[in-house]
Amino acid sequence: MKQSKWGMVVDLDKCNGCQACVVACQSENNIPLQKKSDYDENRVIQWIRVERYWEGSFPDVKAKFIPIMCQHCDEAPCEPVCPVYASYHNNEGLNVQVYNRCIGTRFCANNCPYQVRFFNFWEAEWPDSLKNQLNPDVTVRSRGIMEKCTFCVQKIRRTKRDAKVNGFEIEDGAREINPACVNSCNTEALIFGDMNNPESKISRIKAKEEKKDGRGYHLMEHYGTSPNVLYLKKVDNSKKSHSH
Amino acid sequence: MIPGDYRVPKISKKFLIISGIGGFITTVLIIVVGIFVGSAWWTQPLFGFDEGPDQPIAFKHAPHVKQLGMKCTYCHRFGTEGAAAAAIPPVEFCMSCHRIVGDDKGEIAKIRDTYEGGKPIDWVRVHRLPDHAKFYHPPHIKKLSEKNNIEASEVCSTCHGDVASMTKVKQVSPMKMGWCVDCHKANGASTDCTTCHY
Repeated sequence: MKQSKWGMVVDLDKCNGCQACVVACQSENNIPLQKKSDYDENRVIQWIRVERYWEGSFPDVKAKFIPIMCQHCDEAPCEPVCPVYASYHNNEGLNVQVYNRCIGTRFCANNCPYQVRFFNFWEAEWPDSLKNQLNPDVTVRSRGIMEKCTFCVQKIRRTKRDAKVNGFEIEDGAREINPACVNSCNTEALIFGDMNNPESKISRIKAKEEKKDGRGYHLMEHYGTSPNVLYLKKVDNSKKSHSH
Repeated sequence: MIPGDYRVPKISKKFLIISGIGGFITTVLIIVVGIFVGSAWWTQPLFGFDEGPDQPIAFKHAPHVKQLGMKCTYCHRFGTEGAAAAAIPPVEFCMSCHRIVGDDKGEIAKIRDTYEGGKPIDWVRVHRLPDHAKFYHPPHIKKLSEKNNIEASEVCSTCHGDVASMTKVKQVSPMKMGWCVDCHKANGASTDCTTCHY
């Protein structure tokens, strides 16, 4: 099997800020429920978050949304600072956090320009009614370690394992391998796929949009982190008509 | 007493003997505990773990496997059918035979009681992995059966030992990360962290 390189495309023109991805991620990856005090203390754990920006002033106001998850940078700033190699890059282009190696120095979170690494300040707790909905495929992180978006590596592993055992080819954009956020996105603003496969949807979008006149850009490109998540600019037609 | 006039206090013989014996016992204790912890750390514990734990029902594999010739996967069927764990069969599964077979004494009576009581049997777990290490039977069963050219239902003993002749089931393989990685390397399987840890 050819080595995959996983990547994601976020089409901001399609994102309507519904937060379905946030909820899907929360339930897929055993992320503890957040309290108001967590938000107040800036210690909230959200592997994917939807940032909202207002543009203009009152009658002519517009909301813009940007879903932000771990960018899985090729030159990840979080990796070289880890003293125990808990944060490393695997050969599928994923930036991986190994929970059992992590000793909780929090260097990686401090070095991440996107603020997508989260520290478990408390032991995760769920109400009794929600304990049976925990995903058995994902480790419940204990207190004192970092965690972050994994591109739902448990789904990738499961699909690859099933494909090997039952002998089938993994389809591009199959629901089995897509991360929970991609599956839950009702406008298909999030697209996940193998960038090493030139036939895949994500490769075609990348080839088209990464050109000079394309809509593609990376978050904080000037840092040279070369992320594997490509954002597509929002097309604002009203602005064009105003200026012309 | 004049300052500087210091005499070494005389040590009594009794004190010497008692402290000598105490020191000897402490040394021996440290060595014994050290050996035990060291052996448990690097391999399997040296003593005290020759037999598996006591189970609520003294189930014996021998009559089922050796006399009746049942295959492992007849009862532990979920592993080969795609589930992560081969798992212990539910009481209903035992009762599919023991509704008719077996007398009303001893261990079989216990199974019938739990079945009628509607409570699951509280088996003591023998093979246990931590939450952060994920193991799935199907790819391992497939690989081993292809490699050794044996049927999928026969490969269990490669890791679980000769369960059929155990009176109390015990863990045979160390089931530590080094053991996993050694086999993965020998068979050309992935040794990436996310193969097992996520």
